[in-house]
Amino acid sequence: MSDAILRRRPNAEDPLGPRLRGLFRDLPLAGPLPPECAQGTNRVLRGAAGQVTEGTRLVFHICVAKDDRVTDVRFQAYGCPHTLATAAWLAAQLPGRSLETLLPSAPSDWALHLGIPIEKLGRLLIIEDALRAISSAEGDV
Amino acid sequence: MNPESVPVYMDHAATTPVDPHVAARMMEYLTEQGVFGNPSSSSHAYGREAAAALHAARNHVAALIGAHSEEIVFTSGATESDNLALLGVMRANSDRGRHLITARTEHKAVVDSARRLEKEGFDVSWLMPDGDGRIATEQLRAAIRPDTQLVSIMHANNETGVVQDVDAIGAICREHGVPYHTDAAQSLGTLAVDVAHQPIDLMSFTAHKLYGPKGIAALFVANAARPRLAPLLYGGGHERGLRPGTPATHQVVGFAAAAQLVSARRAADARQLSTLRDALQTRLLMLPGTHLNGHREHRLPGLLNISFEGVEGESLIADLEGELAVSGGAACDSSTAEPSYVLRALGRASQLAQSSLRFSLGRGTSAADVERAAAIVERSVVRLRAVAP
Repeated sequence: MSDAILRRRPNAEDPLGPRLRGLFRDLPLAGPLPPECAQGTNRVLRGAAGQVTEGTRLVFHICVAKDDRVTDVRFQAYGCPHTLATAAWLAAQLPGRSLETLLPSAPSDWALHLGIPIEKLGRLLIIEDALRAISSAEGDV
Repeated sequence: MNPESVPVYMDHAATTPVDPHVAARMMEYLTEQGVFGNPSSSSHAYGREAAAALHAARNHVAALIGAHSEEIVFTSGATESDNLALLGVMRANSDRGRHLITARTEHKAVVDSARRLEKEGFDVSWLMPDGDGRIATEQLRAAIRPDTQLVSIMHANNETGVVQDVDAIGAICREHGVPYHTDAAQSLGTLAVDVAHQPIDLMSFTAHKLYGPKGIAALFVANAARPRLAPLLYGGGHERGLRPGTPATHQVVGFAAAAQLVSARRAADARQLSTLRDALQTRLLMLPGTHLNGHREHRLPGLLNISFEGVEGESLIADLEGELAVSGGAACDSSTAEPSYVLRALGRASQLAQSSLRFSLGRGTSAADVERAAAIVERSVVRLRAVAP
């Protein structure tokens, strides 16, 4: 055993790629909504989908003003790095949107935009379900 | 280079770096200045000196496990050795019986060979381990039938490091006159095996888990109870007709050099690895919601497998990227996010089986590596749990 072994740093591409890696590393807007969100005439809505036991669970928490526009958003996620990164990317696009136009585009577009492999599309559909659960006021899907 | 900028390597169960002494020995058998001849070319001195080197190397590899040199069949890897043992014995003895016994927790090389045999019409009994990963000998005894031709149960598991009681298993096989094969790919670096005094008829082992090169392994085929064994390949009489092809002298010499080093330092390595493994285990099990997978005592000194509640396995591995090299489940399986079949067989729930990490320490692992690895894993587990619903 030795403390003196100096290894070379391996030179290999990150399978996540720089874009997804950055989102996954930072996970902006992850966590619960700040309490001040619910003040005044704002409403707090929640949409969830998936199951931890099945590998993916998404919960979006959004704060909506009187005119139905999103003023703040947070998410909580259990899933693969692609799921977490996509949720973070989507969450950042929600403020300013109306409840009726909450979904920015389709999961296949998200995959294309972020460079997510096709085999992960099922996970993105769960994210979509969570967002739809908010706009349809169904709550948990 | 600052050690902090290089990922800690704790995946020695996947492969080990080649020892510099081994690499230097191999170089002597490659170039025009070296012993480059074909060992089968007995008509000239180049070939005969390569044959002599091959002979000496075979003796060293045999000595590692207490075998006679003629009981060693060189192959390309432990996967091929496992295939040769299972397919070779079962096909060669199909006129006597068509029943194989193995376990659910075997390496894929054994599992997939057994599945192939099922497709060919053979009958396979799959033994289940207990919650600690050990195969109960009574279960084996009950499974043996008059038409059983082979029992294949590994020495140490590649995911959990759990060590089976090969003496008890082999003794039962001997009682019933059934050959016993064990996959010892993971164990020989830290556990001694002496086939001259242990009831083992066939054994797979490989160089690249022993600080030797990839691409060279062996199947021990006992003389004393040598079963009929059919080759998988045809094209020459090499390796007593069991594995044709030009012997890779440099690979075999590297295997032998690695085997000699193992023989000299195995006990010291095992003690040191056990100490470091225990330190890592203590640190990680202090985290709430962590579960040790596999037997606490009967396991390899350098291997630790832990599941983390509330953390998705693929994200955990991704979060360690660039800082810590470990495996989630078997390395052969890590391209998928499916829960480890080995841990599922131990009764772990899917989530826990999927969120497991295998830490396999090696000769180059230091106490500082252990401290750093523990801190990295703790940080990632806390971070991912914080964002989970």
